[in-house]
Amino acid sequence: MNCEETINLIDAYVDGELDPIASQKVERHLRQCTKCEEGYEAHTAMTQAISRGAPYYKAPTELRERIRSSLRDAIDMNAHSGSVRENQLLARRTQPERRNVFSDLPWNWLGLAAAVILTAAIVSTLLPRMLAPSSDQFLATQLIASHVRSLMADHLTDVASSDQHTVKPWLDVKLDFAAPVVDLSSQGFPLIGGRLDYLDNRPVAALVYQRRKHFINLFVWPVESETTRATKAVSRQGYHLLHWVDSDFNYWAVSDVSSSDLQAFREQFQGQLGPH
Amino acid sequence: MALPLEAEHASANEDFDSPRKIVKFFVVKKAEHEHAQNAELASFEEVMLPHLDAAHNLAKWLVRNEQDAQDVVQEAYLRAFRSFAGFRGSNGRAWLLTIVRNTSYTLLQKNRAVDLTTTFDEEIHAMGHESVSPATILEHAEDADLIKNAMDELPAEFREILALRHQEDLSYKEIADILKIPTGTVMSRLARARGKLKECLTDRISQEK
Repeated sequence: MNCEETINLIDAYVDGELDPIASQKVERHLRQCTKCEEGYEAHTAMTQAISRGAPYYKAPTELRERIRSSLRDAIDMNAHSGSVRENQLLARRTQPERRNVFSDLPWNWLGLAAAVILTAAIVSTLLPRMLAPSSDQFLATQLIASHVRSLMADHLTDVASSDQHTVKPWLDVKLDFAAPVVDLSSQGFPLIGGRLDYLDNRPVAALVYQRRKHFINLFVWPVESETTRATKAVSRQGYHLLHWVDSDFNYWAVSDVSSSDLQAFREQFQGQLGPH
Repeated sequence: MALPLEAEHASANEDFDSPRKIVKFFVVKKAEHEHAQNAELASFEEVMLPHLDAAHNLAKWLVRNEQDAQDVVQEAYLRAFRSFAGFRGSNGRAWLLTIVRNTSYTLLQKNRAVDLTTTFDEEIHAMGHESVSPATILEHAEDADLIKNAMDELPAEFREILALRHQEDLSYKEIADILKIPTGTVMSRLARARGKLKECLTDRISQEK
């Protein structure tokens, strides 16, 4: 085990979350390498400082009584009003005064308020939809720019390795998600390496694959709640973009290879990932 | 038209005491219902109230304000009670903490807190200080204010993961379930959280000197 691998695993090692074999490997390396040993000591010191120093906020005693009585109130309310309990429960806690205010107001004020709220609701739901296509276009432009830049500035990879087991841990440490990395050498798309990139307002993983003399940048980041799950193919400025989504991640492949090659790449990639 | 009237009349005559029967029926039903509810409440309190400190601790780290933390915990217990029938798991603490976390985030979002994600200025925090030795950090380990203030500086996702790991002693797997992220991400996020905390501590320690 080398220093980089050891550093990647040191947190899990300190937390006792490594399997016995990996744990032994880390230990063996720590015995040989003073630099990593120091890193390990610093880590242990930090974990101890947090465990000992960070205050534990115990619940005040009155909170327990407050909760117990609110639970009983909830049951009573349920007994009196039957099916509408959910809404009443929420309303009871947050807006008892507001309800009184409402009952004193003349009805035309309520009408005006309703109209304002309705307008706001319509605007807030429709506006993003109207803007959505252009944000997609913007993303496509960003993706191509990022692809071109990676080829131009001789900055194709931050970690150059055809070994998925080197690229993946490297990326995992630098990102807040674990990007799927597979090698497709035998399918004609050898893995060249990985890179960090910044797209759609977040750090993303860029995996670099080769197809004959061409490169494919595969950008990966976690799926957010309301992304559409459709596969999309776009061509712009001589580049082909292919977008797909699985249960965890967004994928954008960008390259100057033909769009059928890109489709083949996606099939191989998904095939290697296994059923999702 | 006369026929239904007659029928109604007849039935009223036959069951002269039926209103009383009906009332009795509902009283019995209501008592049974209340009995079942009280039993449910008792078992809920038995399973969930022991985790009140854990719930309060997590909420306090997330919302960073005592009054808000108490409101969050109370709301979370109400939510938990409402969905308690669906709770089949054995880990009541993790289940409750998931709800506390969601409730905390609802409040943070309502308050438009900017620190929901790691919009943390890594550049500024990454430079301009030499690292302190493990011994120096250990010297300050008992300084609760120092560590609390440094932790409060971190984004919410770091504060919660440090509290879950170091204060609740949860495993990576349990943390992954609560935060709905893969175990690998738990490891990398913990590493980043500790790294950032160390930088914040280092800043504070070197300012003290």
